[in-house]
Amino acid sequence: MATTDRVPVTVLTGFLGSGKTTLLNRILSEQHGKRIAVIENEFGEVGVDHQLVIGAEEEIFETNNGCICCTVRGDLLRILGQLLKRRDKFDYIIVETTGMADPGPVAQTFFLDDEFKTQFVLDAIVTLVDARHIEGHLEQMNEPAEQVAFADVVLLNKTDLVSEADLERIERRIRAMNGTARIFRTRNADVPIAQVLDVGAFDLQRALAVDGSFLEPQYPFEWAGVYALSAGEHMLRSGAESHAAHDHHGHDHDHHHEHGPDCAHDHHAEHAHDHDHDHGHDHGDGLGVVLLPVAAATADGLAASIETAVRAFAEDSTAVACGGALSPGPQLFRIDAAHEGGQFHLQVPQAGAYALFFEHAPSEFNLRLEGAKPAAERRFASHHHDGEISSIGISDPRPLDPQKFNDWMSYLLKSRGEDIFRMKGVVSLQGEDRRYVFHGVHMMYDGQLERPWPAGKSRSNTLVFIGRKLDRQELEAGFHSCLA
Amino acid sequence: MKQPAAILEPRGSIALDDYVADLGWSHDGTRLAVAGGEGKVFLLHRDGESLRARQVAEHGLGAIAVAWQPGGNVFVSSGQDSCVNLYDGDSGERRVQRRPSKQWTTALAWSPNGDRLATAAGREIVVWSAALESERTLSSLDAVVAAIAWDKPGRDLAAAINGGLVLHRLDGDVVEVRRLKWAAPCTTVAFSPNGKVVATGTQDGSVHFWYLATGRDSQMRGYPSRVAHTEWDGDGKYLATVAHDQIVVWDFRGKGPEGSRPVQLLGHTERVVGVAFQPRGGYLATIGLDWRISLWLPGKAPRALDAHLTDAEPTVLRWSPDGRFIAVGERSGRLTIFELVRLV
Repeated sequence: MATTDRVPVTVLTGFLGSGKTTLLNRILSEQHGKRIAVIENEFGEVGVDHQLVIGAEEEIFETNNGCICCTVRGDLLRILGQLLKRRDKFDYIIVETTGMADPGPVAQTFFLDDEFKTQFVLDAIVTLVDARHIEGHLEQMNEPAEQVAFADVVLLNKTDLVSEADLERIERRIRAMNGTARIFRTRNADVPIAQVLDVGAFDLQRALAVDGSFLEPQYPFEWAGVYALSAGEHMLRSGAESHAAHDHHGHDHDHHHEHGPDCAHDHHAEHAHDHDHDHGHDHGDGLGVVLLPVAAATADGLAASIETAVRAFAEDSTAVACGGALSPGPQLFRIDAAHEGGQFHLQVPQAGAYALFFEHAPSEFNLRLEGAKPAAERRFASHHHDGEISSIGISDPRPLDPQKFNDWMSYLLKSRGEDIFRMKGVVSLQGEDRRYVFHGVHMMYDGQLERPWPAGKSRSNTLVFIGRKLDRQELEAGFHSCLA
Repeated sequence: MKQPAAILEPRGSIALDDYVADLGWSHDGTRLAVAGGEGKVFLLHRDGESLRARQVAEHGLGAIAVAWQPGGNVFVSSGQDSCVNLYDGDSGERRVQRRPSKQWTTALAWSPNGDRLATAAGREIVVWSAALESERTLSSLDAVVAAIAWDKPGRDLAAAINGGLVLHRLDGDVVEVRRLKWAAPCTTVAFSPNGKVVATGTQDGSVHFWYLATGRDSQMRGYPSRVAHTEWDGDGKYLATVAHDQIVVWDFRGKGPEGSRPVQLLGHTERVVGVAFQPRGGYLATIGLDWRISLWLPGKAPRALDAHLTDAEPTVLRWSPDGRFIAVGERSGRLTIFELVRLV
């Protein structure tokens, strides 16, 4: 059967309350001309009369005598097999999972055997994320992080319930876990259907979409800016612009604190944020900051200082309380940025160009250098760790030896298949004019030679691994061992 | 080796307005019931080479299975509307409708003497009286039922699940449960006609069987994919097993198949979707996605005695109870009757 005859399947995941049902109802009620069958979990709430909605009792099969990562959904095998018994097939199938589901077995069902591969094609895994609660969920359990890690498309939903700064932080966190997913911000799961159906994420013929910054090495900081500063003291502030506008929950405040008398903000232990959730990472030790003198207040000047900043971030830090001072040099400070109305003195001995490196994005704390704007700034890939789930990207123009690459892939699947949730890549093989394209879910793998590399343009390998406890050095060493 | 000559001769055909998902013969071979994948249920009357069809019901989103009562004059159907219907075998009138579960009832199995009907939906099996008036639910299953089968005396009912087979001995009000554990998703179940062995095919490409008297079990590996069919011949000599395009026949005569080489039937080039031994005979019929209908005599020859190339995808194959005819349904809705004709 030709591959074009295959029925595309979208897997819809997301924690309870993330908006899966809203999205399903939207898809089913929209005039898109597709005949869609929906396989929902048995507790699903969607029931649209004119559409085919099937309740499934989730049943996980181990397919390879006890290998815990070779699992498929037995109920899907049976239901999808039954749905094929029609003279005219459905145009599309959506599989909704339970809120706590691991998307792995669902995805692997479509890799299982030739019978299924000829009939169905997994189009994409779409994960809905409740922007208001995701950070709390990520702290408390593994499933939400796994659902994000598996996703090809993430709908960051309920964006109307959180601030822009929160959204930026959450988005960076999602990006750190999954460097290749397309992320859309939505309210009421309102997204153009074309963004979630017929995405072609598992289509080896379509290009691998990778966020460029994700392929960079990981840095210990998320933001850097370069400033032209006059000699003297400059004030770095955190928290809300206006103290008066800030609600302190009616606590009585005793200002028995160590810093300066002008620090008129709340230090009550219970008060850290004006949102009803916790940040997803630990700010307990303070925010890492490095202030470096640089040659010029330009992007080049900033770039030239990155190496020095990386080394400084590896050093022991000096804690700076609110009202304390920071001085330029290869020295790591940890400032108490989480407090509202925080202020820190940058002591600049002479006028010149200075680069500030922040461990986390300044927008998370509303950090700003008073009276100064960066002449150039740069964001770096986030380095939050959620349940040790991360993405690792490798980009390298050098061709690979086909046999060595094959051996490495075999080794990876056998030894790390359990921890690698998704992998995909486009590879340049020595002596081959066509691109080798692959993807995998745990130990299930599919790869083939695709269209030729464009004539006259340079080739490049792009590989992405998403999973738990991934070791960049190990993966890079494995990749380098495949060089022709 | 000289092949015993036999061929399949077409003996009538009819076009139905549905995908033929399942079909069943009446005990006297004069009628057939058909489940359509898009929902329709048909009753067919056969007169010589003439076939007349009448739609008797519709199962909402799709019909899944039909089964004619052995020796009786009723048949049942199940569908994606989760209903089980019982029909009069002459008029096609629906006499009873039951909804044993919110899940689809995916398997229907009459006991060999026709006095009880077992239905499987999700993790539940229901054993009904012949008129679907009374019922007993077997709740001993901790996984979804993939297949069910009765032994020849109608005393034991077996269910294939993920993790092995579960045997239910039904004796009056008492149900004795015996678990035959095997750590794989079991997809089929079949008792040998002599009751000595029960066999299952598994999702991970093996066949497993148990000798019931001793509990000894054996595994046959090496299949390329899920074993989708396990079918005994009428004497219990041979077990035909199918995975993708491979048909492997195990010989249970003498000391059994352990240590022996099975017969591999060579001919199909695409997935085999239907396989059935002739009742009270040694012929085997198969259909495949290579659009071939093939006839074999496994004890005698590894190649097909006869093969028909059709012009559509066959979906289901059933022998008439007397072993003279086979009915083959197709995706297109066509149903064709073939007669087994011996040439010697």
